Amino acid sequence: MFKKILLATTGSPASFGAARVAFDMAKRYDSEVTIFHVVGVPTKAFSHVVNDVRTGEEVEIDEEYLSWVEEELKTTFAKQFEGADNAKIVLTTGVPAREILREARKADSDLVVMAASSGENASFHKGYPGSTLQKVAKAARCPVLSIHRESASYWGGFSNILFGTDFSKQAESAFKFALSTARELDCDLTIFHALDISGKVLDQNEIEENLIAARKRIRATYVPLMGDFKNYDIEVWEGTPYVEIVKLAREKSVDLICLAHHTNELDPERARIGSTVEQVILRANCPVVSVSKPDKV
Amino acid sequence: MPQGKLCNRQPINTDEQLKLTLSDKSGKQYYAEMQELDVDTNALWATIQKTMKSRIKTWLEICAHCGMCADSCFLYQVNDCVPEQVPSYKIQSTLGHIVKKKGQVDNEFMRKCMKIAWSQCTCCNRCGMYCPHGIDMGVMFSYLRGLLYSQGFVPWELKIGSGMHRVYRAQMDVTTEDWVETCEWMAEETEEEWPGLTIPVDKQDAEIMYTCNAREPKHYPEDLAEAAVLFHVAGTNWTVPSEGWEQTSLSMFAGDWECCKDNVNHVYDAIERLNPARVTGTECGHAHRATVIEGPYWAGRKDGLPPKPYIHYVEWLAEALREGKLKIDPAKRIKEPVTLQDSCNYVRNQGLKDVTREILSYIVEPGYFVEMAPNKEHNYCCGGGGGFNGIGLYREQRNVALRKKMDQILDTGCKLVIAPCHNCWDAIRDLEEEYEIGIRWSFLKPLIIGMLDIPEGMRVEW
Repeated sequence: MFKKILLATTGSPASFGAARVAFDMAKRYDSEVTIFHVVGVPTKAFSHVVNDVRTGEEVEIDEEYLSWVEEELKTTFAKQFEGADNAKIVLTTGVPAREILREARKADSDLVVMAASSGENASFHKGYPGSTLQKVAKAARCPVLSIHRESASYWGGFSNILFGTDFSKQAESAFKFALSTARELDCDLTIFHALDISGKVLDQNEIEENLIAARKRIRATYVPLMGDFKNYDIEVWEGTPYVEIVKLAREKSVDLICLAHHTNELDPERARIGSTVEQVILRANCPVVSVSKPDKV
Repeated sequence: MPQGKLCNRQPINTDEQLKLTLSDKSGKQYYAEMQELDVDTNALWATIQKTMKSRIKTWLEICAHCGMCADSCFLYQVNDCVPEQVPSYKIQSTLGHIVKKKGQVDNEFMRKCMKIAWSQCTCCNRCGMYCPHGIDMGVMFSYLRGLLYSQGFVPWELKIGSGMHRVYRAQMDVTTEDWVETCEWMAEETEEEWPGLTIPVDKQDAEIMYTCNAREPKHYPEDLAEAAVLFHVAGTNWTVPSEGWEQTSLSMFAGDWECCKDNVNHVYDAIERLNPARVTGTECGHAHRATVIEGPYWAGRKDGLPPKPYIHYVEWLAEALREGKLKIDPAKRIKEPVTLQDSCNYVRNQGLKDVTREILSYIVEPGYFVEMAPNKEHNYCCGGGGGFNGIGLYREQRNVALRKKMDQILDTGCKLVIAPCHNCWDAIRDLEEEYEIGIRWSFLKPLIIGMLDIPEGMRVEW
C-alpha cells in the first residue's frame, strides 16, 4: 500500500525525522522512495534566478549547482541511503507546495512524507513552513504523513493506530486508510472522537449524553465497515480535540495518528490556530497522517 | 568580429540554442561576446529607412528640448534628477544619434543604447502625456529596442524570453501538453470544493475565451483555478484554447517584432478556431497591451481590433459584479485602508481607470479606499515595467526604480495594495522584499473569492 513514497524535504534538520520514517517505511514495506527537493523559489519576476530554499540566497540554477545540491542531499541522507535500493532524488524549482503536489500527481505517489515545517525563521521562509504542509495536505490525492520531530514512540513499524474522527466526509477517507493500514500491517486500531467542549458551558449530564451519542455514532458509522477486523476499540473523550487526541496517543503508545485534513483556511497564520490536524502534528509524539481524499485508500 | 555563439543577430529559434543560452550563467559569455559584436551598420540604416515612419521622424525633429518631460519620468525623479535621465535626452542621445549618423555607429555606442533602452525607460509612456508636443518617448524606446534587438544588443534574459516564445509559444517552457494537463489538474483540485466546476479546453462558441500568462501554469496554477471559480460562480460559459492560450509577449519587451506578430497571431488563430463571443485575459498589463492594444497592428488588422471583442480581466470582473453574476457579501468587504496600483499598460494606454475603481466600490467598505498620488493615468510605473523586472544585469537600477512606488504606497498609509497586473504585482512584491515596508499585495481574484456571497449548495464547505 505504500509502493511509492514521496519524501518532500528541504534537507534541513527539521526534516530528518520525516526522512527517517520515509526510509524506514521504504525498507520495511519494500517501497520506492523519491527524495523530492524544491531547490528554490523563482525570484520575483526573474525566472533564471531562484531563492535557495535552505539559505534564502539568490542562486542561478545550472547543471553544476543541481549536481552540487544532489551531492549535498546524498551526504545528508547517506545513512538512510544505505540498503535503500529503491531510492532516487528528484530536484526542481518552483513554489514548494505546488511542486510537491505536481510531482505526487505525476508519479502517482501513494504517500507523501514531509516535515511539518522547514524549521527556519528567516524572513524569506515566513509563510512557507506551515502553509506548505497545509496546502499539500489539503489538495493531495494521497495520504500525507507528517513528522514534526524525531518520534519517541516510532520504532520503525506501525503497530498501533489512532484514528480521530469528527464524522466529516473527509474522515471517511481517513478511516478507510486507517483500517486498511491496520489490516495490512496487523495493527491495533483505536477509533476516537473527542467531544469538543472548549469554550462551551455544558452540564455534566449533557456531556455524558453527548458522549454516549458519539459512541453510538461511531458504532453505527465505522463498525459495519470493518468486516472481520477485530483489533479495534472505541474511545470517546471530552475536551479540546487536539489535546485529547495527543493524550490518548501517548497513553496508548500509538505510533500513527490518522486524521482528515479539511480546513478551508489556507492562510497559515489563521489555520495554525484553528486546525486540529495542525495542532496534533505539532504536539504528537508519532507520525501523523492526514487523509482527505478517497483516491489512495 | 563575426557574431558570437550566444550573442548574435539571430533570434533563438531552436530548443538547443535556447538551452545553450540558458546554461550560460548570468549571461557571462553572452555579454562577453557582446563586447566584440560587430554592428551591421548598413543593415541598421536599411532597417531604419524601411521601418521608421513619419511619426517618429517628426517627433525626433520637433522635440524642442524644453525639458517639460523631465519631471514626468519617475526614473528621472528617483535618480536625483540627473540630466541623463531626462526622457528627451535619453531618446535623442540614442535613437536620435543613430538616425543622425545614418546608422554608422559602433559597438560601444550600441551597448550604451542597450543600457539606456532597458534600464532607463520602462516604456510606461507617461512622458507622452506631459509633452507639449505629444512626443512619446516610450513608443520611441520600443522602436529603438527593435533596432537594438535586430543587431543582437539585447539583455540576455530578454533574448531568452523571446526565444521561449519562438520555441514554446510561451514565455516559459510550458508545452501544449503541460498546459492542458495543468487545466485538468486544477479542475480536479477545485471541483470537490466547487461541485460542477470544469476548465473546458477548446470548447466552440463559448461566451468567453480565457487567456493567461505562462508564469501561471508554470508556477502559480492556482491563479487559473481562481479564474475558473469566478467563471463558475458567475455561470459563464467559458473555455481556454489548447493552443494560443499564452497572452504575454516578452518579445515586445525584447524588441523582437517578428515574434510579436507571431505571438499575437497565435492567440488570434485560437479565437478564429473556437469562435467565442468575447475574449478576456488574466490580470496582466503587458499581455493586454501586446494582444489587444498593439497586437492588431502587428497582425496587420486594418480595423486595429482583435478578431473578437477582447476585454481586460478587470472589465470582465466589473461587469460580473455590476450585473450581479458575482455577489459580494457586504460583511466580508475590505475594512482596512487599501490602495490600488494602476497598470500603465491598460490604464494609461487604454483608459481602464474607472473600471478598476468600480470593482473597488463593490469590495471595499466605503471610506477605506485610499488613492495613490498621483493616480489613474497619471500614476507612475510600478518600477519594473517594460521587462525591467526580469533583467539581472540591471537589477540594481531596477531596485532604485522601485522607490517611487514605495514612496507612493507609504504616503497612502495602506498596508494592502491591490495590483491587478502580473508585473506590478511582482514589482510590489520585490519592493517589499528589498525595502521591507510591511505591506501585502494581492490580485483581485483571490480577494473576490474570499468575499463572495455564494449561492446555497454551490460550494461544499470543508
